[in-house]
Amino acid sequence: MKLSTVKFILLFVVQLLVWNYSNFLQYVFIVFLPVMLLCLPIERGSISLMLLAFVLGVAADFLVNGQLGLTALALVPVAALRRTVIQLVFGNEILARGEELSFHRQRYTKFATATLMLTSVFLLVYLWVDGAGMYSLGFLALKYVISLLVSTAVSVPVAYLLLEESTGKWN
Amino acid sequence: MSGQKTSFLLSAATFLLLEVAALVLLHSSSTVQNIWINRASHRTKAFLWGGGEALRNQFRLDDLNQELQAENARLQERLRAYELRDAAQEEQEYVAPGVNPAVYHYIPATVVKMSRNQVHNYIILNKGSEDGIRPQSGIISDRGVVGIVEAVSQHYSYGLTLMNPEMSVGARLGSTEQVGPLYWDGVSTHRALMRNLSAHYVLYPGDTVRTSGFSVFFPPDIPIGVTGNSRLVDGTTREVEVFLFQDFSTLRYVTVVENLAREEITALEATVEDAL
Repeated sequence: MKLSTVKFILLFVVQLLVWNYSNFLQYVFIVFLPVMLLCLPIERGSISLMLLAFVLGVAADFLVNGQLGLTALALVPVAALRRTVIQLVFGNEILARGEELSFHRQRYTKFATATLMLTSVFLLVYLWVDGAGMYSLGFLALKYVISLLVSTAVSVPVAYLLLEESTGKWN
Repeated sequence: MSGQKTSFLLSAATFLLLEVAALVLLHSSSTVQNIWINRASHRTKAFLWGGGEALRNQFRLDDLNQELQAENARLQERLRAYELRDAAQEEQEYVAPGVNPAVYHYIPATVVKMSRNQVHNYIILNKGSEDGIRPQSGIISDRGVVGIVEAVSQHYSYGLTLMNPEMSVGARLGSTEQVGPLYWDGVSTHRALMRNLSAHYVLYPGDTVRTSGFSVFFPPDIPIGVTGNSRLVDGTTREVEVFLFQDFSTLRYVTVVENLAREEITALEATVEDAL
């Protein structure tokens, strides 16, 4: 098994542990699954990425979260939009050349921007569906903003861990 | 160009298909807990995370012992009160044979897994159908209402806790005897809101809130919490915050309570609804 696959599986387990044991606040929802999808090889097609997102989402819901299908519902749009976000943030060349994402070439700010965009899509769907009818719009907006900032801050080191090998190549 | 269009259409179709599948899963898991995939999920969660919950409780053993001692003292006090009352009653009248006032059946259980940081929180208990637990039974602790059993497997029970927007408890205010639904406030592990109270009553903080006994899940007069501030809603009803006696972040032992007359009551309600 490739090292990147092992890292991906381990980080997925860490995400499950975070969801299971982060019992401290209702205001924060920490997620780094979107950035894990962002860091998968560029050549992976949209359809296989969406299928993977669906499987990961259902697995997360099955193992930790209460509502089966909720994470899958929020993660599939992330997979669908990943190519567009890469085009917008990193440019067309990276897709044309089929290059891997790398911290050395693309810099942290671009990763943070792409992560922010994908995480915002995930949280928008997840928090809206999960909290519909329960919370006021103000509370949901506050939870959304806090969760987005915290999740993005956590996601950047996660991306670095996943892309260590490709970053090393450019060094 | 045609290849690009086909690829786009295929991606769009896959996207729609997966989103619909996720929505179907979400709908079925939130409305019908007793489907096979949910039962398998409950078993897996109990197996995976039960150890973590036990480990967490190991670090709280001193607190738990103190809680148990306090509960024991309270129960002994109540038992003594009942003994005195029974003795007084025996002196005055003979109880008619065959009358059984015990409408509720109690089964103690331990929390195997409980979510506290989500919007739709749940609880898994270490007792199942083999232990006599049935769906639609109430879950209480010595500090109040915990939740309702939604699904039962052979060895485990799955329930929704009060920390869930789909659950409400019929509650009664101590001083005014007003009855209204009690909902979780969605944020705290020890705060709820009692709604639909008459606007013309003046509510004071510190009043005890108990179960009304109007639902088929919980016996009447179980203390739930004390009132805090209240506010007028739309000028017609009043809403009061309730500080729960039960802090869900420290819950370990619970009691499952089954209303033995529940089926009879629901059948009666169904008959009346059909007649109307």
